[in-house]
Amino acid sequence: MVRSRAHLWFVAPAIILMIVLLIAPIFVAAALSFTDYNLGNPGFNWVGWKNYESLTKFSSYKKMFTASLTYVVVVVPVSVALGLGAAMLISSLRFGGEMYKAIFFLPVMATLLAMAIVWEFALHPVVGVVNDVLRTGCDIGWLHALLTGSWLGFDPAGSWYGSSCTEDFPVWFGDKKYALGTIAFIGIWQAFGFNMVLYLAGLTAVPRELYSAAEMDGASSAWERFRLVTWPMLGPTHVFVVTITSIRSFQVFDTVEALTRGGPAKSTYVMVYAIFEKGVKQNLLGIGSAITVVFLAFVLVLTITQVYFVNRRVHYS
Amino acid sequence: MASIGLRGITKTFGDTQVLNAIDLHIADGEFLTLVGPSGCGKSTTLRIIAGLEAQTEGDVEIDGAVVNHVRPSRRDLAMVFQSYALYPHLSVRQNLATPLLLRDLGFWERFPLFGALVPGRRKKIETLGAAVRDTAGTLEIEHLLERKPGQLSGGQRQRVALGRAMVRNPAAFLMDEPLSNLDAGLRVHMRAELSELHRNLGTTFVYVTHDQAEALTMSDRMAVMLDGDILQLGAPDDVYQNPQDLRVAEFVGSPKINVLPGECDSAGRLSCLGVALERRLAKSADGAISLGWRPEHFTLHPGETSECFAGRLVYKENLGADVYLHAALADGAHRLIVRVTPARAHDAAVGDALWLDPDAGRTMAFGPDGRRLALAEDDEAERVV
Repeated sequence: MVRSRAHLWFVAPAIILMIVLLIAPIFVAAALSFTDYNLGNPGFNWVGWKNYESLTKFSSYKKMFTASLTYVVVVVPVSVALGLGAAMLISSLRFGGEMYKAIFFLPVMATLLAMAIVWEFALHPVVGVVNDVLRTGCDIGWLHALLTGSWLGFDPAGSWYGSSCTEDFPVWFGDKKYALGTIAFIGIWQAFGFNMVLYLAGLTAVPRELYSAAEMDGASSAWERFRLVTWPMLGPTHVFVVTITSIRSFQVFDTVEALTRGGPAKSTYVMVYAIFEKGVKQNLLGIGSAITVVFLAFVLVLTITQVYFVNRRVHYS
Repeated sequence: MASIGLRGITKTFGDTQVLNAIDLHIADGEFLTLVGPSGCGKSTTLRIIAGLEAQTEGDVEIDGAVVNHVRPSRRDLAMVFQSYALYPHLSVRQNLATPLLLRDLGFWERFPLFGALVPGRRKKIETLGAAVRDTAGTLEIEHLLERKPGQLSGGQRQRVALGRAMVRNPAAFLMDEPLSNLDAGLRVHMRAELSELHRNLGTTFVYVTHDQAEALTMSDRMAVMLDGDILQLGAPDDVYQNPQDLRVAEFVGSPKINVLPGECDSAGRLSCLGVALERRLAKSADGAISLGWRPEHFTLHPGETSECFAGRLVYKENLGADVYLHAALADGAHRLIVRVTPARAHDAAVGDALWLDPDAGRTMAFGPDGRRLALAEDDEAERVV
């Protein structure tokens, strides 16, 4: 029998494109991370692990890892919990659910960069609406008493609100104590609508009869039905939502670029911003590639954890 | 163990009324079947008994006490669902234990990690484990205890669902088409097992099905429902032999009852497609009368007579023990299905002429509104003739 080689011709274009477009760039980045190549230079030297060593040595890179990991650790659980809560509230509505869905999804549809301008304005220390409102509260006696805890007998100056009233409210993006938290808040605001939509899809897949069965079995409170049915039945959704949100949080860039540029004092110097600064703005491709490789490693670890450890436990059939 | 009473239960969804003032009393320990075509309101009735659905009007009573405002979980009823509704993330053992955990353990005892510290919990867990093992033993599913529902066959899941209902000895079992997802052979087998289970437990069973065969084979009494009404309530034999409504007659029995248009004269004498019948009505009726005979209520006549329906054999349905002959009548518009023995059917070939003689006294007459019309007693009929 004559074996035709035609099949190779059919798969070759797809395989070549895949190698050139998807796999090769990663290997190029990995190779560059072992050089001191600067864009525009005629040549480069192999420097071995030097770029990676500097990642562990310099404090600005330590701050980079701290910023990225803190951002992920704050944004993921809060936006996942809010997304689940909003999805459960919306799915329990008889009407109006579509409207809430659209409203909560707005931040996802609007680009983060455009919304960053709005946040920059709202959180402006002098003309921003947020600090304006907070300042107004200082002059309203009962509100001041409530927020400072002085109605319970605490010293007003000892509380955050009380001391801010006397010393003025924070410069949200300009104070290293608040900058990352504020960026994380915007990240949560943006991500939870997306998680809500994923959870809404997950909730529609929970068989109604399971709730009836739980009720018959004696699960009389909403909390018991949630623990017995909703939470475990959303297992695959949890994995997906947590993975996607983690990866997207690692990728945070646009708010940082628009609002803080990594500052103040590198407190918001997240990984993708560092890649952008080193590799694009300063043309230091070697160190930029090294951060890229570490970044990909983080994402890869997350994905592999999902596939090999968690997925097996949440698919029940 | 409990009796269940429904008084004037009405249910409307928006503008459509799905239950029209249902009254029903289910005795303690009875096996009652609600049977009817889909959309007749039987599942809704069951869910109202369970408390999963609120009635628009009327009262639900359990053991004489009105439970309208009692939560499903406090009614002490157990339900088996058509889809089984097992918790897919829990093993069979945990599925069986869930109703016991929820009933017997307090909130803090069920609390993750912390619960283990509550005194007396270990003892409760042990009694609970014993109850699970007992139930698994009764249903012969001990070897499946560590598996997840996803790893079980349909029949095994069905048993687990039954077990989860049985394990806490409820006052009554509610079953919503529990056999309809099983293959035909297993379904027939499970009918016998369910009947036996009912005998052994002695608990009230309320069983919903669209399959009249399940209703006929298992129940003490069956309620035939249609369009939100109970058309007839009675022992299976009685419902089959003595349907009080044409729709009941047509729904119960397989193959379906044969129905032909009939006429009656002023004295109530009946005739059908030109064939005079031996019986007459107790009271003459106006309008279109329907006459019904079950397939087993005919005999084949060897030759032509005026008291027989003449037809032509169009199809022989051989079921082994019985053969159903489908005959197209001479008027071209009607068909009759007749049950005969295989020996009797052996000679008949498709296309042969048949003479079908309805058994005297088996005729069922239904008025224009579908209600059953009484036949006159035999001796009276003779006196008139």
